[in-house]
Amino acid sequence: MTTETGLKPGMRNITEFEAKAILREYGIVTPRGIVFESLPDKIELKFPLVLKVSDASIIHKSDVGGVKAGIVGLYDLIEEYVAMKKRFPNSEFLLEEMAQKGVEFIVGVTRDPVFGPVIMLGTGGIYTELYQDVAFRKLPIGREDALDMIQEIRSGIFCKGFRGTRIDCEEIVGLLLKVNGMISGGKVDILSLDLNPVIVSASGAVAADAKISFYR
Amino acid sequence: MFNNLISPSAIAVIGASPDRSKIGHAVLQNLVNQGFHGKIYPINPSCDEILGLKCYTEISSVPGKVDLAVIALPAKLAPSVLQECIKQDVEFVIIVAGGFSELGEEGRKLEDSLKEKLKGTRTRLIGPNTVGIIFPHSKVNTALTPGERIWFPGEGQIGFISQSGALGLLIMDSLAENGTGISGFVNIGNRADIDEDDLMEMFLEHDETRSIVAYLESISNGEKFFRTVRDVNMKKPVTILKTGRTSEASAAASFHTGALATDDRVLDGILRQAGVVRAYSEVELLDFGRALAYARPLEGKRIAVLTTAGGVGVLTTDLLTTEDSRPALSMARFSQEEIGQLKEHALPIASLNNPIDLTADGSTQSYASILEILAESGNVDGIIAYALPQTPKIDTSVIGPIVNAARKKTVVVGVIGNRLTRDLMVDLEKAKIPAYPSVPRTVSAMKALYLRRMYLRRLSNDH
Repeated sequence: MTTETGLKPGMRNITEFEAKAILREYGIVTPRGIVFESLPDKIELKFPLVLKVSDASIIHKSDVGGVKAGIVGLYDLIEEYVAMKKRFPNSEFLLEEMAQKGVEFIVGVTRDPVFGPVIMLGTGGIYTELYQDVAFRKLPIGREDALDMIQEIRSGIFCKGFRGTRIDCEEIVGLLLKVNGMISGGKVDILSLDLNPVIVSASGAVAADAKISFYR
Repeated sequence: MFNNLISPSAIAVIGASPDRSKIGHAVLQNLVNQGFHGKIYPINPSCDEILGLKCYTEISSVPGKVDLAVIALPAKLAPSVLQECIKQDVEFVIIVAGGFSELGEEGRKLEDSLKEKLKGTRTRLIGPNTVGIIFPHSKVNTALTPGERIWFPGEGQIGFISQSGALGLLIMDSLAENGTGISGFVNIGNRADIDEDDLMEMFLEHDETRSIVAYLESISNGEKFFRTVRDVNMKKPVTILKTGRTSEASAAASFHTGALATDDRVLDGILRQAGVVRAYSEVELLDFGRALAYARPLEGKRIAVLTTAGGVGVLTTDLLTTEDSRPALSMARFSQEEIGQLKEHALPIASLNNPIDLTADGSTQSYASILEILAESGNVDGIIAYALPQTPKIDTSVIGPIVNAARKKTVVVGVIGNRLTRDLMVDLEKAKIPAYPSVPRTVSAMKALYLRRMYLRRLSNDH
């Protein structure tokens, strides 16, 4: 049944933390983070941090007040944790280091009814739905396909440099090919996947948020 | 594999009729009018002779081997007649009648019974629900529309696959206006057996076909389609017009990717991946089909424009250098030496910066010399040449120089106007120069050629 969380029948979701663990197995970089029910005494992460509700049934966390970014110190953290615990008394929480600023992309996978698994690259973050600037390819893809997808979207311009921001195209190519390997390798039966945003900066490509659903 | 479809030695028309209002009459009439030189066997138990041809009671009573049978009978009779054709080892059968899967559950069952009969046999089926096939080189024409209602194109280089029968026939009627020919036309209908993938492979093997165009409303098997179109397109250019876009997204729409995955976006990506040039209208479909069949492959994006009307040159420049649904190309820049050469052949009032405008005083002689310089230039990849009849000293004698230039460079021609343009269009078509009656169509054809070059480069890198 479809609930207000947006979960569809035939789909099984996992938490962001679990999703990121899978991504790391395939060499995709994610921010350092920990999961807990109650805030631990000692935090070994580097501020600024982001606190998120960690619950497989909540797909769009920020829509329900389940994301707090830009936590700069311990006092801040305790305050935000208490507030969020009130909203989600039965959930776990994910605390992560914030990725360095950069150009935001979305990388995703979905099943097309005619063509099967397809991969998408697009302008990410809050602009995803506004610009709908995306490129799709059928999986599996090769290096040239990945380069072509980058060229096809507007944000691809940052690979050539735009207004003083220049990113390394190879970071995106590498990420797309890792996702390709993950799905096309056939070891994990992923129905769909959203990495949004993927933040690309001088320190590489980081999947700052990740959603994965499996066939039930 | 498809030799007996493209060029059969004997065709049976089952349900041939002396009644001019019947489809069984039109099919037979078209075969006769086209001048099919193999054997034609009309089959109708209640006639002795139709259109001067001896009639037979059933397919089994025909005195020779039949390569192709057209069943022009109502849907409910089709399965048993198909069975008879299979018994006689007829290799290709066309079932014209509608009333199958397009009409719901009853029809689907009837269509399934056709598929069931074909299993394990050598017989291949086109249709049901098809307007037929045309192969001008072998004078095969099984169209169900009488020849007095539409024109059928003559021999050409374009292989045309259409999921829509009527639109297919109407497109061909329009093509015939300027004498554009085809190498073949097949309306796949409900594609109970032979589908677009089989036909792309057929046209790939067909020597007369230089470019393939397909009008599709749906894709029968995504995986197979992708592999086929990618492989065929590497060797022969394929242009696709896919209609019936929906905004419906795929299964997991609770994720961003799923919500953004409309079938049109997915198809767009997949056609790019396969290196296929996409058309967005029936006009583009055949415009690109011609460009890709006739023109030399484009080597780069530097385009020289030759015109005798300033406005045409400016509009061309605007469209050419703008990214629309296709990439922007660039205006070629000539060297000082080339500008010197160009000056020798143009009037002082002519503008020699690209676009080159010879003005209304331009002559065929000057046009020819300048085309030659452009064709030899190392700074030019493609040439858009306008043949404009408003210029008093320009007439069909520009075609010779255009043909010469097209031997060395990719040339696309624009012919604007009406009163005197038809002769130009017909002659250019005869010379297999892609020519178009508007600025945007001329520019889009050049962009299609550029896309093909870009795609082929990428595909050859990936393999």
